[in-house]
Amino acid sequence: MDYKYIEQLLERYWQGETTLQEESILRAFFCQPDIPEHLRKYQPLFVLEKEESLGDDFDGRILGMIEEEEQPKAKIVTLTSRLMPLFKAAAIVAIILTLGNAAQAPWNYGWDDPKDEYAKFHQQNTDSVNLLNPIQAENVNDSALAPKPEAPQYIE
Amino acid sequence: MKKISFRNDVLPLKNELFRLALRITLNRVEAEDVVQETMIKVWNRRDRWEELDSIAAFCLTICRNIAIDKMRKMENQNQSLADEHDAPDQSYSSNPEEQAMQQDRIQLVRRLIDNLPEKQRSVMQLRDIEGKSYKEIAQVLDISEEQVKINIFRARQTIRQKFIETEKYGL
Repeated sequence: MDYKYIEQLLERYWQGETTLQEESILRAFFCQPDIPEHLRKYQPLFVLEKEESLGDDFDGRILGMIEEEEQPKAKIVTLTSRLMPLFKAAAIVAIILTLGNAAQAPWNYGWDDPKDEYAKFHQQNTDSVNLLNPIQAENVNDSALAPKPEAPQYIE
Repeated sequence: MKKISFRNDVLPLKNELFRLALRITLNRVEAEDVVQETMIKVWNRRDRWEELDSIAAFCLTICRNIAIDKMRKMENQNQSLADEHDAPDQSYSSNPEEQAMQQDRIQLVRRLIDNLPEKQRSVMQLRDIEGKSYKEIAQVLDISEEQVKINIFRARQTIRQKFIETEKYGL
């Protein structure tokens, strides 16, 4: 087998003129098992491997060190999630308005016992009916002529 | 431009950085420290990642600078650098196993490279082991491509010389 090409490449390698590709050819050549005697001595130079390396625990250590200050990764924000605070605010306003409106009714009518309330209402009604006797009732229609009836007295 | 992620783009460079640091400091523990410092430094400058041409070159540059700094400090403290590369082990010459011999020869070449000046060592590491182009190396070392070529040339000449000497006189 002719090793002229390899010898040539090797010579250029020593001169620092080889390209990366040619160096990888040399490396490939020296990786095969049968190398002629006169070239064998150079073999170690081309089989230097990337053997020194760091353990996996190194990754964890570094990541642990930087994680303390790591910023949150960029997230994909959809329109809905982007407007979510707005929705929340709107929902809170709606709840407040609804509750407010609902609360109006009890404030208007009070919280008294419905029984008492009914009794009071009933009494008032019967009082006003009693006050409005038949004569007065006739006069209601021509109130301009008749003297104004006394305002009914409500007795609490 | 592509978004750079620390976990996917920077962290996988750790072994490459480690080998470069190891070539410079010649000490595994120191080299690991250097890589760690490099990672932290790169992380702290994350706001500038987008402006970089190559994050790998950026990391390697930082790594080399830290490693050189460390080495200088170590020299100041008068610590010996010889721990890792003591005198060549003579025992292999009598070892009959080809494979073991091969392993020893590789160790020898490593030692030859480790004895080169720092710049040549770094260049040799980046070129012959990591397979980087002259342009990339120039970027990492912040020198011209011509300078890279000169350093490669000198390094290879020295190695060749050592090979010839070894051949002539044995080890």
